[in-house]
Amino acid sequence: MARDQPRRADALRFMRRPAARIALLLGVLVATGSVSAHEIGTTRVTVAFTPSGEYDIEVSTDAAALVARLESAAGQPRSGTLAAEDLIRRVEELGPQWLGQVRVSFDDRAVTPRLEYPRHRDAPVTDDELFAPVVAKIHLRGPIPPGAREFRWQYGLTASTYGLTVTSASRQPHPTEWLEAGQVSRVYSLGADSRESPAKVALGYLALGFTHILPHGVDHILFVLGLFLFSPRLAPLLWQVSAFTLAHTLTLGLTLYKVVPSFPEVVEPLIALSIVYVAIENLTTSELRVGRLALVFAFGLLHGMGFAGALAAADLPGDELLIGLVGFNLGVEAGQIAVLAAAFLLVASWSRDPLVYRRLVVVPASLLIAVTGVYWTIQRLSHW
Amino acid sequence: MRPHRARHHQTLIVLALVLSGAAGHVSAHDFWVGPSAFRPKVGALVGVRLLVGENMIGDPVPRDPAIIKQFVVATATGTKPVPGRDGGDPAGVMRVDAPGLLVVGYQSHPRTIELTPDTFERYLGEEGLDEVRALVADAPGRKTAREMFSRCAKALLSPDGSPDSGRDRSLGLTLELVAERNPYAIGAGQELPFVLTYDQKPRAGALVIAISQRDPARKLTARTDRQGRVVFALPVGGAWIVKAVHMVAARPGSGVDWESFWASSTFEVPDGARPAAPR
Repeated sequence: MARDQPRRADALRFMRRPAARIALLLGVLVATGSVSAHEIGTTRVTVAFTPSGEYDIEVSTDAAALVARLESAAGQPRSGTLAAEDLIRRVEELGPQWLGQVRVSFDDRAVTPRLEYPRHRDAPVTDDELFAPVVAKIHLRGPIPPGAREFRWQYGLTASTYGLTVTSASRQPHPTEWLEAGQVSRVYSLGADSRESPAKVALGYLALGFTHILPHGVDHILFVLGLFLFSPRLAPLLWQVSAFTLAHTLTLGLTLYKVVPSFPEVVEPLIALSIVYVAIENLTTSELRVGRLALVFAFGLLHGMGFAGALAAADLPGDELLIGLVGFNLGVEAGQIAVLAAAFLLVASWSRDPLVYRRLVVVPASLLIAVTGVYWTIQRLSHW
Repeated sequence: MRPHRARHHQTLIVLALVLSGAAGHVSAHDFWVGPSAFRPKVGALVGVRLLVGENMIGDPVPRDPAIIKQFVVATATGTKPVPGRDGGDPAGVMRVDAPGLLVVGYQSHPRTIELTPDTFERYLGEEGLDEVRALVADAPGRKTAREMFSRCAKALLSPDGSPDSGRDRSLGLTLELVAERNPYAIGAGQELPFVLTYDQKPRAGALVIAISQRDPARKLTARTDRQGRVVFALPVGGAWIVKAVHMVAARPGSGVDWESFWASSTFEVPDGARPAAPR
């Protein structure tokens, strides 16, 4: 199971990747199409994704050039030389027009940002340095669309090469990308910055939990089958499954919230050993006692720690912890129910005769499960 | 690949190609020297910006010592470097210490660029580089053009607006426009001749374009004669840029196909007619 975790986590990450290949394609096309290595100007674009799920893009650019270009594009007479305050006022007047030169897109769908000029209010637009240019600081803000995975930027109102820096609350800033007018930026993966709807997030973890049992969790499947084979009656099965579920839910949560430390090197062989135990006990008795129930509960605690390892490998963001835990656990339960339902359908006809059922199903299947469990125990211990 | 995904890819590819073409188009941008004042007072400080753009709307280019080959100001008393803070905009700040025409000159070290055949041919057309255009047309196949370009920009300033003192002069830029009359000594509509030199020799047959900041859409164009001379009657006052591009086949082993030089001269023309000044 432990060996499956990185693979499953990779698979989860891969779900986020298809557009990354498009980005690569785009990057190559843009790079090979015409790399226009112009003089690097003073325009800089800084993109930040806030923890509250907003994007905040600051475009810092020469105010005079911006105003002149917009007036020229609109066929208006040029304002000429303006005082700093007038120039900034003109920038703000022309803001909506300027917005037409910008394309902010998430997953290749353009969004309409709102325009703000906080630094025009709070900070001087020029410093004390001689002839310091008047710099417009335009902010484009808005919510990151739910479920968005990728960000791209395009800007047309520049004649020089400009720098685009994408920062993130959860990681180091990306290296500055140098762009020409009209050139689309590379694709920036939002990663942990993406904000999917809670239902979608929960569904994703539910699917992860389910697939952690079916088809990936063969050890868990065998354990649940071991419980199933214990008795042909429904009551012992329900008791055992309830104890197991309660226990693994408990340790899954406690381990994920780091209340209980995780020792996969110990837990994984013990999980294999638990499979051996339930299978062998199936050969000796079918009467449910408190001791069996307690052991199933104890084994559930171990399996819960294993589940936590799988969920932790999915690298879920901190604010998705609870929703991930609930979703994943429900997925695990659904997987267990699916295994039990399939087992019931498979052996329903044989279980009418308890003796035949025991001789032809319980004994050989439990033996097989026990042998597999022994093999896994040895295998996992050998990895120490 | 699902069909809608395939369409998505195609859209992006088309978009990328269109935009890469658009990015290439900016290669034809002008480069000029933009002083904070064309007619500063004697004793005043003047900010000297380096600007790249079109129609006299330029993005400032910060001072980069790595690409400055020459950045000087020439007065009647001599030539000296234009000081400035590395990374600063304006790229230079200088004090006007005497009357008489100030000639600011800037030449960059060459930078390389690659252009798609379409972009390259379009820009050859725009800049009137017909000889190169013919060579490209005759060459077998169409390939990406690798070009090395250098900026050769000048600005003419008239301290105190004194119209009759000082003349433009050659600063030794590889491609250089030299005004044969002091533009501050003429009025709108009067003739202003320039000589275009390449490696200090007159460059004949070159397209020279004059653009006014007040009316940039109305570009004046003329070809230099055998003496490299071109004459404009600039119809309005205010700031002007006169510019020309020269391109030669690159030296073997340089790693590029073409080497280009972008000359410009910026100055201000007084409004209204003035009495003709001696040439």
